[in-house]
Amino acid sequence: MSANYAIEMLNITKRFPGIIANDNITLRLKHGEIHALLGENGAGKSTLMSVLFGLYKPEEGKILMDGKEVRIDDPNDANRLGIGMVHQHFKLVECFSVLDNIILGVEPNKMGFLQKEQAREKVVALSEKYGLHVDPDAMIEDITVGMQQRTEILKMLYRENNILIFDEPTAVLTPQEIDELMHIMRNLTQEGKSILFITHKLNEIMAVADTCSVLRKGKYIGTVDVAGTTKEELSRMMVGRDVDFIVHKDEAKPTDVVLSVEKLSVSSKGHSKKAVNNVSFKVRAGEIVCIAGIDGNGQTELVYGLTGLLPVKDGAVIMDGKDITQLAIRKRNVGGLSHIPEDRHKYGLVMDYSLEDNLILQRYFEPRFVNNFGFMRRKNIRNYANDLIEQYDVRSGQGAVTPARSMSGGNQQKAIIAREIDKDPQLLIAVQPTRGLDVGAIEYIHSQIVAQRDKNKAVLLVSLELDEVMALSDRILVMYEGEIVGELDPKTTTVEELGLYMAGAKREAREV
Amino acid sequence: MSPLKKRRSVLRSDGLQTLISSLLCIILGLAVGYLVLLLINAAGAWDATMAIVKNFFKFTKAETRMKNFGLTLAKTAPLLMCSLSVLFAYKVGLFNIGAAGQYTAGVCAALIFALHPNFLWPWWACLLVAVAAGAILGAICGALRAYCNVNVVISGIMLNWITLYLTNWVLAWVKNPASPYTKELRSVNTSALIPSMGLEKFFNNKNVTISVVLVLLIAVVIWIILKKTKFGYELKATGNNLHAAKYCGMKENRNIILTMVIAGALAAAGAGLFYLAGIEEWSTTQSAVPGMGFNGIAVAFLGGLNPLGAILSSYFIQHITTAGGYVNLQVYSAQISDFISSMIIYLCAFVGFFKMFINLRLDKGEERKARKAALLASTEEGGADE
Amino acid sequence: MILLLQYTIIFAAVLLLVALGGAFAEHSGVINIGLEGIMVIGALGGALAMSKINIEYGGFVIVVSTIVASAAAGLIFSLFLAVAAINFKADQTITGTAMNMLATAGSTVAVKAMNTAASGGSDVSSAIRYINQKQFFIHRFGDFEFSWFMLVAVIALVVAYIVMYKTRFGLRLRACGEHPQAADSVGINVYKMRYAGVLISGVLGGLGGITFITTGVSEWKFENGVVGFGFLALAVMIFGAWDPLRIAGAAVIFGLFRALGNVHTGIPLLEHLGIPGAVYNMLPYIVSLLVLAFTSKRSRAPKAEGIPYDKGLR
Repeated sequence: MSANYAIEMLNITKRFPGIIANDNITLRLKHGEIHALLGENGAGKSTLMSVLFGLYKPEEGKILMDGKEVRIDDPNDANRLGIGMVHQHFKLVECFSVLDNIILGVEPNKMGFLQKEQAREKVVALSEKYGLHVDPDAMIEDITVGMQQRTEILKMLYRENNILIFDEPTAVLTPQEIDELMHIMRNLTQEGKSILFITHKLNEIMAVADTCSVLRKGKYIGTVDVAGTTKEELSRMMVGRDVDFIVHKDEAKPTDVVLSVEKLSVSSKGHSKKAVNNVSFKVRAGEIVCIAGIDGNGQTELVYGLTGLLPVKDGAVIMDGKDITQLAIRKRNVGGLSHIPEDRHKYGLVMDYSLEDNLILQRYFEPRFVNNFGFMRRKNIRNYANDLIEQYDVRSGQGAVTPARSMSGGNQQKAIIAREIDKDPQLLIAVQPTRGLDVGAIEYIHSQIVAQRDKNKAVLLVSLELDEVMALSDRILVMYEGEIVGELDPKTTTVEELGLYMAGAKREAREV
Repeated sequence: MSPLKKRRSVLRSDGLQTLISSLLCIILGLAVGYLVLLLINAAGAWDATMAIVKNFFKFTKAETRMKNFGLTLAKTAPLLMCSLSVLFAYKVGLFNIGAAGQYTAGVCAALIFALHPNFLWPWWACLLVAVAAGAILGAICGALRAYCNVNVVISGIMLNWITLYLTNWVLAWVKNPASPYTKELRSVNTSALIPSMGLEKFFNNKNVTISVVLVLLIAVVIWIILKKTKFGYELKATGNNLHAAKYCGMKENRNIILTMVIAGALAAAGAGLFYLAGIEEWSTTQSAVPGMGFNGIAVAFLGGLNPLGAILSSYFIQHITTAGGYVNLQVYSAQISDFISSMIIYLCAFVGFFKMFINLRLDKGEERKARKAALLASTEEGGADE
Repeated sequence: MILLLQYTIIFAAVLLLVALGGAFAEHSGVINIGLEGIMVIGALGGALAMSKINIEYGGFVIVVSTIVASAAAGLIFSLFLAVAAINFKADQTITGTAMNMLATAGSTVAVKAMNTAASGGSDVSSAIRYINQKQFFIHRFGDFEFSWFMLVAVIALVVAYIVMYKTRFGLRLRACGEHPQAADSVGINVYKMRYAGVLISGVLGGLGGITFITTGVSEWKFENGVVGFGFLALAVMIFGAWDPLRIAGAAVIFGLFRALGNVHTGIPLLEHLGIPGAVYNMLPYIVSLLVLAFTSKRSRAPKAEGIPYDKGLR
């Protein structure tokens, strides 16, 4: 009976100190199907897949392959059993060629000396067969994210894996690239491969999956046939309550121009190439302007240029009528600019500092926190921190003195948002503010951003999530290869049209 | 959120963990030293180890004890300064292996202005130029790191050697014609001797000066700066996360350079406070920078990177270093003390692991307790739920 | 001039060997600040073999056993780094620094103990002498003294290049230094590869150590360590961008500056300039500082170097 299943994971329990990441989970993957694994961030999907891939050892439960129990202690075992995985963060060595990355770990060799020719032939044959076009001699650091993903898929095919795990594969792709990926996935199942598809995006499940299993907070909720279900039902299973994905907001009432960017060019770190090229736009008080685009098209450098983290090569940044192009970061920050950074661990927090010390990071130098002799006023800091913690509902183990490191991602992000919004900025720059958070936290953060707009603040949002772009923005600017290639109205445009701009297939002549 | 405050084990306290780890490092370091002595000559190994641990306690006369205690204290002063230099730099994430060179620069500046017939400056002026020399060296190191991304360990070592050759060359101008050593302060310029203010009498040792007290004050000041001030807040943030420091508008390059300037000044001040006490002369044929700077690293880590901890650990390391001379030199060599201190630094690298081990054990214990409690609660509530 | 050439080549050989060692460790993801100490211990092992083996056995036995002994000593000492950095995830800078101090103090204690015991207390120096044995390492071609260690360095360069770029081992090693999670996900044992990288650096560092103490002198005082050569080699490695061929080029340049310090009194032109000897002594260190200042900004160091790999955090 169970020979119908390619893989069965039965009653898997995996604990980490303090949490149960997988609590008695059962998952059955049929031969030749695309099986979606749905759940919020932190629901335990990645942990479960890591168990299957041999990266984690579960405390309880067993894994069957074609009805027979198997042991998977490390990725080598998984590989031997024909299980391959495309990780959410690609596992590619940037300064290696595509070919070197594909053969790494299973190198064809004579007495230890590499024999790359036969490998190259096999890779070329595979990429033609499945339509996975990529130059085997290109360096990973030089190719697009889409091509990197194809490299990852080729890695699995080269190893002749039959069970393919895709961990959030669409997060970095344009809508058109996503369509292409879905097409490839269907091709793969026709060739007899079985696919596990991890995602939190309902549209994609409806479009491509045959079956869907849902996890919530480490627990197994259920498995449904995709043909017989609806998005609403899936979302209810995922979140545990009715969720509407519409952000409630009134019509924007933009007033004065707060941020004016004029012919801005920024070079990325260590390169002379312009990452941002001759970009101009305006953001008014009372509107949310969103920069959309695929990761790596200059959004990061644009924000760094605006906030002062990278020097501006050319052009001007004007805030509230003042030229701030060359202004020090501190002066920008006290002059009404708040920045919710893309990478909260790298920029947003000092991880070994306590929550309270992180909450004053942008204002520790103010007289109420520091006396005339340069000593910190600890009592005032504590009171201030407690106020923010209460107001923004930041939860942590030991309150104000909790080390930032030991807080959950959602609460870390809430702390950053509390700190940045409490500055009462004229301009709020938020970069991927909801990345990696669960639905509750996302809703909260969205409502805070809209509230800022409604308080007649200017908001510049940078997001890679198209749903977020469509739901939050009042205007959309699309960035492609360092330039703004289109300005769209979220009420009249479609995701498809947005995708064409993001992929550089379409561009408009713009005047600002 | 939970009204129940978890009672936290005292073992969770970072300070206590550091103390335990440091003691463990010391014991293991001494044990390895003992093993090496055993290998060399089993018969005298225990006596030699005890000689190192006892130092001046081996003397029976109270007066001699006090005198030798004074000598150890006088030598602790520069060591403490070097360790303050190392730990201060470490707070911004820089490993100041250049402390040895900064110390050497301090010697060079202090002695040339104290001894050269064109200067013959008083002690406080010599001390100031020593501080300046170290600060400049620190600034070079810091600037290379901040603007050219040069690893401070490598630049520090390069500067150590450059400073050594420079110092040997410069101090040859004020050396004793008959020996490789610089002239004695006492015979050339007594105004360059740091005053003792009665400590000399108390310890019955003319080497003990106000340096001993000054360095304690400096240690406390450094502790206050790091712990209580805005400057300390910025430095630690910079060391912890350079990106976040830049993001919130701290001038990270300025902080790095300033830190290295202070670190350099501290090490060089230590050199001034030691050499201007007239305890030793500089040998201009010296083939390596003094070990003081490197021992400073041991002290800093052994003291848990805390200035107050460094006071204790610097005394300990100096205690065993001085005592190295008391082992039976017919059989063993004085460098056994250096060996033990370097073993202790090596073991200090495991402190992180050791703390993690303690915490992991505590975590597991707590989890077991929590699970037991949950189980208990669920069986109690079992009836009510149905 | 021949003397300058000879010293340049032999110092370049030292720097090349040690810098290649550094490159192997760093390509595997471990920063080896302890190379200086590894050189000292390698030198100790080699010097002991040289001075203890009966000279009657002849040149071949002495040369081979000296090379083997120094490589083995370096390898064993590098375990201090491997265990701490790989198994215990200790700070690699502290570990390396401790190793440097440990090597000098330890070898001084050991050599002094041996000398003291051998002389019954009359010789308490930290020197090992090998004047007679040294002749076996040298062949004279006219005025030029060829040392077998020069050949060892060239062989090491060729082998290192092939291993690094042409073999399965090299590909895997570099993957561990760049992206250990990626290597792990394709079934490569990162810990093993890092051990390999560190141990290879131990072997090459040990060979560099014995090469260094046999240049020009016929006895070595172990109190002096290896006067910062391990760190110069790290500068060579950075300047050479972690690539064997470029490292070789960098080693020759640094070797030349170091050689000037040894032979400047023998070159009439330099003698005439009247620059004090201290300047020549400082020269290699000053040059390396300047070179680092100009090359470190755009360094292409292995991305994951210095970061302990933790299986639990992948």
